[in-house]
Amino acid sequence: MLILRILALDSAHGYGIAQRLQQISRDTVRVNQGSLYPALHRLEEKGWLKAEWRESETGREAKFYSLTPAGRKQLAVEKQSWNRLADAVRLIFNEGE
Amino acid sequence: MARILNFLPWRRSRKEHDLDRELRYHMDRRIDDLVQSGLGETEARRQALLEFGGIDETKEEVRETWLWRWLDHVVRDLYYAGRILRRNPGFTATALLSLALGVGANAAIFSLIDQVLLRALPVEEPERLVHLDWVGSSLSSGYGGGNLMSYPFCRDLEQQRFFDGVLCRYPVTVNFSTGQQHEPLAGEVVSGSYFRTLGVRPHLGRLIEPSDDVQPSGHPVVVLSYNYWRTELGGTPEVVGRKVLINNYPMTVIGVTPESFRGMDMLARPKLWVPAMMMPQVNVEVGRVMFERRAVWMNVFARLKPGVTAEETKAQIQPWFKAMLEADSRSDDFPTVTAEQYQRYSASTLDLLPAARGFSMRRSVLQRPLLVLLGGTVLLLLLAALNVAGLLLARGAARSRELTTRMAIGATRSRIASQLLTETMILTLGGGLLGLIVAPAVSQVLVASLSPGNDLGSRIDYRVFLFAFAVTMFAGVLCSFAPMLQANRIPLIASLRERARVAAGGGVRLRKVLVVGQMAFTLLLLVGAGLLVQTLARLHSNVGFNGSSLIMFGLDPPAMGYSDVDSEKIMREVDRRLREMPGVETAAVANTRMLNGGWSDAGMTIQSEERIVTQRAALYMRIGPGFFPALGTRVIAGRDFEERDIRPSDTATTPWRSVIVNESFARRYFKDRSPIGYRIGIGTGPKVNPTIEIIGVVEDFNRRNLRDEGIEHVFFPYWDRDTDNGTFYVKLRGKPDAAYASIRALVHEVDPTLPVGEPITFEEQIERSVWVEKALATLSSAFGMIALLLSVVGLYGVMSLVVTQRTQEIGVRMALGATRLSAVWLIVRDVLIITGLGTGIALPSAWVLRRLIQAQLFGVSAFDGPTIAVASCLLALVALGAATLPAWRAASVNPIDALRLE
Repeated sequence: MLILRILALDSAHGYGIAQRLQQISRDTVRVNQGSLYPALHRLEEKGWLKAEWRESETGREAKFYSLTPAGRKQLAVEKQSWNRLADAVRLIFNEGE
Repeated sequence: MARILNFLPWRRSRKEHDLDRELRYHMDRRIDDLVQSGLGETEARRQALLEFGGIDETKEEVRETWLWRWLDHVVRDLYYAGRILRRNPGFTATALLSLALGVGANAAIFSLIDQVLLRALPVEEPERLVHLDWVGSSLSSGYGGGNLMSYPFCRDLEQQRFFDGVLCRYPVTVNFSTGQQHEPLAGEVVSGSYFRTLGVRPHLGRLIEPSDDVQPSGHPVVVLSYNYWRTELGGTPEVVGRKVLINNYPMTVIGVTPESFRGMDMLARPKLWVPAMMMPQVNVEVGRVMFERRAVWMNVFARLKPGVTAEETKAQIQPWFKAMLEADSRSDDFPTVTAEQYQRYSASTLDLLPAARGFSMRRSVLQRPLLVLLGGTVLLLLLAALNVAGLLLARGAARSRELTTRMAIGATRSRIASQLLTETMILTLGGGLLGLIVAPAVSQVLVASLSPGNDLGSRIDYRVFLFAFAVTMFAGVLCSFAPMLQANRIPLIASLRERARVAAGGGVRLRKVLVVGQMAFTLLLLVGAGLLVQTLARLHSNVGFNGSSLIMFGLDPPAMGYSDVDSEKIMREVDRRLREMPGVETAAVANTRMLNGGWSDAGMTIQSEERIVTQRAALYMRIGPGFFPALGTRVIAGRDFEERDIRPSDTATTPWRSVIVNESFARRYFKDRSPIGYRIGIGTGPKVNPTIEIIGVVEDFNRRNLRDEGIEHVFFPYWDRDTDNGTFYVKLRGKPDAAYASIRALVHEVDPTLPVGEPITFEEQIERSVWVEKALATLSSAFGMIALLLSVVGLYGVMSLVVTQRTQEIGVRMALGATRLSAVWLIVRDVLIITGLGTGIALPSAWVLRRLIQAQLFGVSAFDGPTIAVASCLLALVALGAATLPAWRAASVNPIDALRLE
């Protein structure tokens, strides 16, 4: 979901996504950077991401990922279910007070 | 589909390469960043690797996502397809049955074609075998069929070094006995080189060797076939050394052939093999002339030397052959011939024909009919595939909402297509499997109707399996083509908005095209069936005599070792007793059986006011008095043979004195004059003395082949010459079945050992003589009916859909004052257009295909107007019938209801 969220703003290459992940989560999420790539490929295979080779900011060719319409939809679905879960959790905590 | 392609090697390596680049880019950027933040190059690389985790592990994990994704899709497609198919049992069953029918019929026909036309002999290197063919004139008289050679010729050729072995064979039927009953068995008389040259090894004991073929009548040995030994003799090893009787002559069993071996004629099933030197015991008539150079009866085969082509060998052999012709023409027994005849003789050459598949007279008979049948089944398969395609389209239209929804939520077109393909493949593979299961049964029916001797198997082997698989795949591609086209056409947004009506509209058009195709194929099959049925009927009416309550059976005393004098005694006695037998109206003997494919003919000299020779050879046979009454044919001029034409027994044989000719003979050579009293002689040479007086003219009737028309035929008295074997014709007052036992008893009284050749009724013999035509007529009619059924289903389906779709339009029209009749017309017009287009496609195709069927027809042309008209009308009628229900629904549309839907 995080990857989809990041790509919702703009297309990016793997390294960029890794950087962005670190920024957004303010270093709270520390994952092996390597594990990012299987996830990217899985999303691509599911048809939520598409990829193309483009020139990056450093002038070298890099693989850029971006959201497909299906990916956008999936993001909305996940966001909704996340919100619902979060709401439910909040409700439980509020009731407990 | 695209995903399957990913696993092709080159696609795969491309993906790998991309992954490599992607990861390297990541690492390089990270190292750069770390270097910029102040780390040393080596330290930066270490740090980056640490952060990343194992590069190879990552790669492996990525690869797994590719593979799993693909497997996942396949499994999910299969599961989904299974569920869809289970949920529509009617659809699934119809589709499966259509395909099973198409594939089953094709596999069955192919298994026959494979056996008859394709399979090689089960011997060593069959491709090196050649069949010798004498091109030109051999100035000889023949016994048997095919390319015949004399036995001395075969032995001469063996002495030469042109080949790795020469062999010859002659098919026979002998009376075989292991002690009690004599039983007629098919066998082969073979040269001693036969098994050695073919490279066949014994299953038991030993096979016939060159040393078994040296002394005339000196090698009473016999080899049995595996099947006969197994089924009739219990398969015991003690059979070797056992004494048996062949035509009442004692012989010893020396061995058993391997199971696969069936002799040189793959469509025959010889039960035994006997050395050529035993010919006098096996067939008296041929045995008498077996060492003459101008008596040809053997089929000769040879094995080419390794690495030498037939052409090269043929060139090597000609000088030897020419020298042999030359030497032979100077021998004492060489006939006196005209210069022209000699010219043709000395210009003869030897041809070497490929013989990897052996030799069979029946192959040429079956080849065309089988190809015609294959044509029929291929049409049937196309029809079945179109039917399934139509069904898939219909369902595709119903499912278009489901499909568009799935596409809207992100399924790609290729995903949808692969989903549809999976469904179709499951259907076709299932249909194909079912087809293979029914194929042996279909094949059995075919074998029973195509081959009365039951010489063909109905086995399904791997070749048939492969063929069926290919056919199934072909059908699958055909079936899935239309739905794929449809899936690709679905306009996403429009279809969602308009409740899938657009997609369904496209479906109707495609389905109409499919039904037009079905109509065309059906019409082709119907026309073919019509032609073949008419052929059969015309052949039946071409018999020319009355065969009811007429039976015939053969007797062959010389084959049981009787001398000419004793044989004649037996034949006369049977003849006399038959006439006196209760229940017999009349009985007569003749030298041959009628309508069994065999005949004798000869050129003749006719002496009327002038001396002329016949323009072509006339058929002849020898008959006893009472033959014509038994057949119910009339002598229309002169008289029939009477008692005075019978040579008294115990007197020497005489040249023929009297002859009866048929109408065609009289018409051709005597025009309007009466031929009675004129004389003829056999042969066309200047020395022929025409002394045989024409005493009568008989109506034309067919005795050789029902396809004959206007063939000249003459009849000589049976008893004038040496009588050997013969066939008795018995006209009964009652049912034939009861007479068989009394006839056997009668012959048994005359001679207890003499086997009675299977008595059969004339109707049966007629049926046998037209079995190919009958099988073709029956099968093609069945194909036609099935085709009609399939296209009715297709047409009904599409017309129902049309009515459903146009309900609103019809409603509006009616509200505006259109009559119900016009609503019906709307549907009928569609049906007529579809049928018309189908006919329009079928007629030119029929014109193109007419050559395929021409040779099978009789009395009707391959592009017969009335047949085509009747078939088209039948198709149109059935099509209209199929449209009745949809039309009725169209007529009963209630305008108010229809408009309310809007």
